[in-house]
Amino acid sequence: MKTLLFLAVAVAAQAAGNICLSLGMRHLAAAFNADSGDWIALAGLALTSPWLWAGAALLATFTLLFTLVLSWTDLSLALPVISVEIVVNVGLAGWLLGESVSPLHWLGTLLVAAGVALVVGTARDKAPVQEGQPA
Amino acid sequence: MMTLTIGLVALMVLADAASDILVARAMKQIGEVTSFRPRALVGTLARMFRSPSFTAGIGAAAIHFFTFLALLSFVGLSTVFPATALVYVVATAGAQLILKEHVSLRRWAGVSLVCTGMILVSMT
Repeated sequence: MKTLLFLAVAVAAQAAGNICLSLGMRHLAAAFNADSGDWIALAGLALTSPWLWAGAALLATFTLLFTLVLSWTDLSLALPVISVEIVVNVGLAGWLLGESVSPLHWLGTLLVAAGVALVVGTARDKAPVQEGQPA
Repeated sequence: MMTLTIGLVALMVLADAASDILVARAMKQIGEVTSFRPRALVGTLARMFRSPSFTAGIGAAAIHFFTFLALLSFVGLSTVFPATALVYVVATAGAQLILKEHVSLRRWAGVSLVCTGMILVSMT
């Protein structure tokens, strides 16, 4: 339960971080004139963008939470579970950013969701007890 | 060019999986994190960065990142991105063989579905 709670918060942070980065880069592209070639101005815009800072902080939070979870749970459980982020991202990209999502993308997200559900169902799996080992 | 692309994709996937496995090994060696107070978390972070496995994991992540960038310089994202999904299979195999995790058939089936789904999502 603790594992799934931490992974759920981590996935939410990663999805929100990706949305923030995406919005930040859109604002940057709108504010910057690429023909000017003034890359210092571009760096200034990036460093003062609240969206990019929020995105970076959220992705750092994701990394920290995922790493902490690995201190008590299996990598083979945690790694597939965080892929549910793609389901959240595809949903949010369609809903918040107005991006078109193809049927192939939806089929892929459905398979990922089914796979994550299967993996979550194994969270209480224990290794089979070998002969000669205490149960 | 084809051989170079396949070689770099293999390196990228292996480096990504190695990064996950090394960080997981480091965290198991450090022990379960039970306190989330700022002082305790700073102590955990300090132990993480003193762990050779963890720093090697960061190094492997850097190799993955730069290989990904190198691949993007001569093949499209639509070619590279689906290949990144293979990391789920490779890292799970590594967790079973190197970290000695018990991976049931049901978990393998879930990982395979995730990998297939990620390939479909990343196809443009």
